[in-house]
Amino acid sequence: MSAGRSGLAERLRRLRGPNNEGVLALILLVLIVGMSIANPVFFTLPTAFSIMRSAIVPLIFALGVLLVIISGGIDVSFAAIAVFAAYTTVRVYGSGAIDLGLIGAFAMALVIGGMLGAINGFLIARFRLPTLIVTLGTQGIFKGVLLTYVGSRYIADLPSAMSWVSTTNLIEVTTDTGRAYLHVMVVPAIVLTLVLAWVLRRTMFGRSIYAIGGDAEAARRAGIRVVRTQVWLYVIVGMMAAIGGMIYMIMGRSASPQELVGGELDIIAAVVLGGASIFGGRGSVLGTVLGVFLVQVINNSLILAGVPSAWQRAAVGVLLLVGVGIQAVTARGSGRAALVHDAQEVTV
Amino acid sequence: MTHPAPVGTPAPLLEVRDIVKQFGGVTALGGVSLDLLPGEVLCLAGENGCGKSTLIKIISGAEKPDSGTILVDGQPFTSMNTTDAIKSGIQVIYQDFSLFPNLTVAENVVLTSAIASRRKLYDRRTARPAAQAIIDDLGLTLDVDARVENLSVADKQLTAICRALVDDARVIIMDEPTTALTRTEVGRLFVIVERLRARGVGLIFVSHKLDEVLTISQRVAILRSGKNVVTSPASELDMRSIAEHMTGKVLDESRHVAAIDPESPAVLEVEHMDLPGAYHDVSFTVRRGEIVGVTGLLGSGRTEIAESLFGVLPPQSGTVKVDGKPVRLRSIGDAIAAGIGYVPEDRLTQGLFLEKSIADNMIAASMDGHRARLGTLDKNAVRETIQRLFARLRVKAPNVQAPVRSLSGGNAQRVVLAKWLARRPKVLMLNGPTVGVDVGSKSEILDILRAEAADGMGILVISDDAPELVACCHRVLVVRHGRVVDVLEGDDVDVDNIRKKVAA
Amino acid sequence: MNAVQEKNPLKRVNAEVDSRWTGLVERLHVDRSARRMLLLVVVAFAIFAALKPSVFLSGINLQNIAISSPEIGVIAIAMMLAMLTGGIDLSLVSIANLSAITMSTMFTAIAANNPDQAEQLFPLIVLVGLVVGLLGGAVNGLLVSRLGITPILATLGTMQIYNGIAVAWTGGKTLYGSPAALTSIGQSTVGGVPTLFVLFVVVAVLVGIIVKRTPLGLKVTLQGANPTAARYSGINSRAVLMSTYLLTGTLGGIAGVLFLARNPTASADYGASYVLLVIVIAVLGGTNPNGGFATVFGVVLATLTLQIVSSGFTALRLSAFQYSIAQGVILIAVMVIDQVQWRRRPRARRAAAVSS
Repeated sequence: MSAGRSGLAERLRRLRGPNNEGVLALILLVLIVGMSIANPVFFTLPTAFSIMRSAIVPLIFALGVLLVIISGGIDVSFAAIAVFAAYTTVRVYGSGAIDLGLIGAFAMALVIGGMLGAINGFLIARFRLPTLIVTLGTQGIFKGVLLTYVGSRYIADLPSAMSWVSTTNLIEVTTDTGRAYLHVMVVPAIVLTLVLAWVLRRTMFGRSIYAIGGDAEAARRAGIRVVRTQVWLYVIVGMMAAIGGMIYMIMGRSASPQELVGGELDIIAAVVLGGASIFGGRGSVLGTVLGVFLVQVINNSLILAGVPSAWQRAAVGVLLLVGVGIQAVTARGSGRAALVHDAQEVTV
Repeated sequence: MTHPAPVGTPAPLLEVRDIVKQFGGVTALGGVSLDLLPGEVLCLAGENGCGKSTLIKIISGAEKPDSGTILVDGQPFTSMNTTDAIKSGIQVIYQDFSLFPNLTVAENVVLTSAIASRRKLYDRRTARPAAQAIIDDLGLTLDVDARVENLSVADKQLTAICRALVDDARVIIMDEPTTALTRTEVGRLFVIVERLRARGVGLIFVSHKLDEVLTISQRVAILRSGKNVVTSPASELDMRSIAEHMTGKVLDESRHVAAIDPESPAVLEVEHMDLPGAYHDVSFTVRRGEIVGVTGLLGSGRTEIAESLFGVLPPQSGTVKVDGKPVRLRSIGDAIAAGIGYVPEDRLTQGLFLEKSIADNMIAASMDGHRARLGTLDKNAVRETIQRLFARLRVKAPNVQAPVRSLSGGNAQRVVLAKWLARRPKVLMLNGPTVGVDVGSKSEILDILRAEAADGMGILVISDDAPELVACCHRVLVVRHGRVVDVLEGDDVDVDNIRKKVAA
Repeated sequence: MNAVQEKNPLKRVNAEVDSRWTGLVERLHVDRSARRMLLLVVVAFAIFAALKPSVFLSGINLQNIAISSPEIGVIAIAMMLAMLTGGIDLSLVSIANLSAITMSTMFTAIAANNPDQAEQLFPLIVLVGLVVGLLGGAVNGLLVSRLGITPILATLGTMQIYNGIAVAWTGGKTLYGSPAALTSIGQSTVGGVPTLFVLFVVVAVLVGIIVKRTPLGLKVTLQGANPTAARYSGINSRAVLMSTYLLTGTLGGIAGVLFLARNPTASADYGASYVLLVIVIAVLGGTNPNGGFATVFGVVLATLTLQIVSSGFTALRLSAFQYSIAQGVILIAVMVIDQVQWRRRPRARRAAAVSS
């Protein structure tokens, strides 16, 4: 009897996942089912595709933020890096100086993003500075340099090397509720998600990031090259931001140096909602994907429910507080239980 | 295993030759040498600040020596980095274990060796059996899939030991390995140490618990002020001589207990206090001027009793009276308001604000008592209190603005004491008052307690250090399985008696 | 023992002088970061005064610095308080905007019926603005102290909520309307100094007294330095955190009043760049983001430094974007210098520990 119960408890715990991914999935499912019942328009392919489309860029940014958060940091400069890398690339291509096609454009953005990330990584790892403060500073620098020295003009037409992708869809389906398009840029998003999940779970680099986030001093003692790992981490985050920026501009069919910056906190909120701990060492790709989708689905639901778009921000705020609040309260409860449990173990 | 010990004197596994290390012109190590033979336990003893931890950091590659050599299997290194040390088979188990709380036991066990071998990929499927093999090999029961943060302290330590063994460690250095363990767990640890010795592993134990030093080690090396004072077989030393080598002074650990006025009223009365899972039906009194010891094994409930009286773990039932008046102890605030003070065992995290000044630390519990009109702090009163306590407790520091982090263990403990004396509590409880305090400061702290008791305070000393209890307590309560099973009084308070009652 | 109560008058005076002197020395010792900030203010001022004296030293420019500093400075002081406990308050600007919007809406609503009455109710309107700030702080305080949510996440959430309310309320538009009395305060001067700046100094002094001279201030500092030790010293962390966020919220409300006094308009996205700017100022002013260390004086000086740099850049015809670069560079440079100095220090300390 007790074995059966503990087996069930064990199975439930597995389902819940190490970072409450199960709970999140359940909420998402309930939300989707509820919305579909309330408003049949919701449960259609066009809606699904449009949610996926709107999730592409936030997801890529969120994955980068996830890496930083697992390592015990917080990054508010990724949006500045994204816009810097993408806008610079568009400018260079637009000037006709170089044209190496789409791949070349992405490669160029990656290099720029990687270099800017390396600056973050160097400052953080070499001087052991608080990540929030450093990225706050570099955010201002990156944005300022971009607008001062690269350009501040809105570019309405992307260079042809990029613009052809803007209108390319992976899937086009005609259903009775209308035509549904799935933008081709979901492919890099999915690939990136899978690669990152693999890196975090199956490579020493990934495990080192968890280790550093768990206890940086212990990581140093265990022989993990913390400085090197952190620098690479921020280089990768910078590159992911660059990809996100490129996709954002391609899908928006224009380039503006004033965009993206300012939305950092929304992305961080989605990652935290996805179960990553702001204290480091905890978080998963699955949770982040769920977190990003939860935010997108809620935004979409609010629109369908006729709630003014102004309330979306507030809704995400409430969601964040409810999510984190439940975590905080349960953590306190289990802490108390553990104390009594320990005491009993000894006295028996 | 691979090196069968030759008859006679086996070649040392590790030789440390004339290590010199200076920090900013001050000599931390002034030419220390020692060697470690296969299959032996060498105990490294010394007061805080004698250079033990610096020496360990140098051997483990975390610090570089200014001069001197380290030989591993006869092969010399002038300096190493952490990875070199691990590759040479040197493993350090730090007092805090340096584990990753967010990872599983299996990951913790295999991660270090995977890093040392510069592996790029992490293979979960081979990690579990590899960790399990080591756990089985030592005859342990550990769940490889459990997250380390959910383990007990003893299991965390066993995880750290398993991790050290992954790389065929030949030299294992353990920093204060028994501090957080119960007596049974210490026994289990010693069994494992014997198994490791039988395999030819050499162990260096860093410990301040003198009786354990003598139980487990074959040789003892004592450091004082960065110099190697003596290295000799454990059989030729006793606790007194070790302590004397450590301090360079002849110690007085005899019993000094002032007579209490038989009319002296009870200041703390505990009646039938109960907290399921922690302790049961605890009753005792402390009179004004009395020092009462509470002892027992770790986990016996002694700390929980103190924490209940301080409102950290509110008792479920029973009454507590201070000066004859019943008090409710729902929170720390209640306890302090009732006139109870508590010097916690974990001084660094619970007792002190390390980065703040001595002055800020001393006033931390009595700010509301130093109000001027308008509710602001009365600066003169504050300064007067701080200067008085600074002088009276003889804190060794340049001035009261020095950060507490710069103080030695003994001086830091005086600052915690001062924080409570500034409030003049009716009852002061001290948990492990001299843990991590050097032997010299220890007797001074006990003197301070005697003086406060003579002034009319009731004092409760929670400790597992029998000589310390004998030195200052009028009575000693023995706690076993959450119950007060014995009260030793008068001539019954002696070291052997306490040890016998505790372990019974 | 009581030196001050000594009978001999000469000795008493001596003792008095002695204690004053040690007090002074202690203060100089403690305010190392403030001294550095003072130097930075002077250097920044001197550089721009030398490069472009005609514009930079003009009365209008100095007046501008004094008028634009207060709103940022008050929010930065609030940020400093939150950081002193080891937390952060990202919702401050949203609170300030919400407060300004409430006041503007209230004024317009009353003025629609009776313009005179709306002017007469000016003190009440300001009070309501402050109460909005207090309430915003109370929500933050409850989330942090009662539910135990990490401040950065709690205030990130409330920032979104307060901002969302403001956006929904105003429909994203800018509101016009403010009591004339408030506007005239915003334009008046006291002995040549703008009244707004005088208010800023008064707020700074009050908060400075709270931090340095009251039990609450010391409790806040100790709570930030080591929450566990604070708990074991009988410091009620819930009450301390609650008071802190009530205070930061109220300061946010005051900033809202300053917003409205400077410009008779209110909108949901005013001062969006302030959120990060005030963190820069707080850290620049010597606030340790991990808690336990901060001075109001340092933060005031940091506010002035950034405003001097900002107006200096304008005087040199440099853009706002170049100012943003300068902000980032100053922040990182100060942090790096701090870190390099701090890393050198423990060696000396360790040496002291070894020798003792």
